[in-house]
Amino acid sequence: MSTEFPLILANDVGYTYPNGSVALKKVNLNIFRGDLVGIMGKNGAGKTTLIRTFNGLIRPTTGSIYINGENIKSKSVGALSQKVGIIFQNPQHQVFSNTIEEEIKFSLKSLNLNKKESQVRVDTILKNFDLDKYRERSPLNLSGGETKKLAVASIFCRNPEILIFDEPTLGQDAKEIEFFINLIKNERKNGKTIIIVTHNIEFAMEFIPRTILMADGQIIADGPTNNILNNEFLVNKTSLILPQVNQFNRALHDIGINCPQTITSKKKMIEFLIAYLKNKSNKGTGENF
Amino acid sequence: MSLEFLNAFKFQKKNTFVHNLDPRVKLLFSIVYSISALLFTEIVPLFIIFLTLIPFILLGRMIKEWIRSIRGLSFLVLLIIVLNTYFLSLGYAIAMIIRISIMITAFSIFFLTVHPNDLALSLVSMKVPYPYAFSFSLAFRFVPTIANEAQNIMDAQQSRGYEMEQKGMINQIKNLFPLLVPLIICSIKRAFNVAEALESRAFGSSNERSYYYTIKYKFKDWVLTFYSLCFFIIIIYIRIQFSLMPGWLTWELIV
Repeated sequence: MSTEFPLILANDVGYTYPNGSVALKKVNLNIFRGDLVGIMGKNGAGKTTLIRTFNGLIRPTTGSIYINGENIKSKSVGALSQKVGIIFQNPQHQVFSNTIEEEIKFSLKSLNLNKKESQVRVDTILKNFDLDKYRERSPLNLSGGETKKLAVASIFCRNPEILIFDEPTLGQDAKEIEFFINLIKNERKNGKTIIIVTHNIEFAMEFIPRTILMADGQIIADGPTNNILNNEFLVNKTSLILPQVNQFNRALHDIGINCPQTITSKKKMIEFLIAYLKNKSNKGTGENF
Repeated sequence: MSLEFLNAFKFQKKNTFVHNLDPRVKLLFSIVYSISALLFTEIVPLFIIFLTLIPFILLGRMIKEWIRSIRGLSFLVLLIIVLNTYFLSLGYAIAMIIRISIMITAFSIFFLTVHPNDLALSLVSMKVPYPYAFSFSLAFRFVPTIANEAQNIMDAQQSRGYEMEQKGMINQIKNLFPLLVPLIICSIKRAFNVAEALESRAFGSSNERSYYYTIKYKFKDWVLTFYSLCFFIIIIYIRIQFSLMPGWLTWELIV
């Protein structure tokens, strides 16, 4: 782990909703600049509440949060949203303008950009998100996947330092998921810090190097995704299911094939199986697979 | 800004005297109190009406929820004080605050203690056709859901720099669009989904239907009905004879 000061530091953060339900209990967390972190756990574990504390939408009832070394207690949501952009689960909650172009422009309003700067940003973002052909179309007529793209674009155009996605793969087809993966990869290359709340274990295993596992408002594990999501106890505790590759790996072990635990991607598994079968056929054991 | 106060209208299951009353008598009670509040513009009678509601809040063990609903109205209270004091008088502003508190409290008592299913049953027993009664109870059941959705919309807009507080009346009205448009669209979409779900379960396929639960007027319901009617008659009498009432009752704050 890096010795630099964390970009996000949560110190004993607790939150109790006005109806008395405790959502977060003494959460301690360090996220460094450029990190790509996944937050996982079952429904009601406190994942969404935790990310909402990062831009001040929810103020912790106990403990404190520091962004870039500054306590955010007295910062307004408006000020924090310039640093922390949250892309919420339901994109329909954002769209209201007459055209897609206006929808993006609305996000830029509070940045006090001049007209030219604002137009440049709008054009660039629409092009990057492949939405420029719909520029004049009403956002209400877009498909679910395109509306999600628009919601992400409306946060990306603000260029926040920290990007938080709440269930980005929910309701997305394979092509749309691929688009988001490329987007996240690019943003990471640009030095952005990315936090992804997800239930999609295959997605996490493949693309997220660090995972924070939550249960009952607490962090129960924090570390490399491979280690955490291979731990049967943790996975069961958080109502997750082992990824198919890992389940297959275990099945191979059960029938006596020694497949390394480090194989967690489909590509590596296919390579292992090809090598294994070649090896077997060379030895001429005649086993059937 | 939080829409938490709308939870003050969300039914909460408790075993209290008020919860166990028939929904029809509670509806009558709430309407009587609301009309009574509308009959006066003077502080003292309104305050007395308000005080008579307190025992029902205590009996229903709903002080917390009631305080939350009143606290949630702080923005409205501020608006009433500013507008009425500016255009009329401080005394009138205070009276209006008490009036709105009475109406909110009366309907809080109703909504907090009446289960949506009982509401539909009580309307059916008042000869309201079932589809309308059901629609009404469904609308009532969706209040907290819509409040939750409005909060999510507010959070989503705020996280892209939307600022709630804007200077000037026109700007404040304009500022509502980013909240209202998504809320209306999501509500319409939900309404269509609910309608489809209901139709797929054969809602409305038969005019005759039976009810698993039934509601019955009991002795305590008659007592509250009697109380509500007597209260209403006294209030109307005081209103009509208001000029003949003792000085302390007709006292007005002249500021």
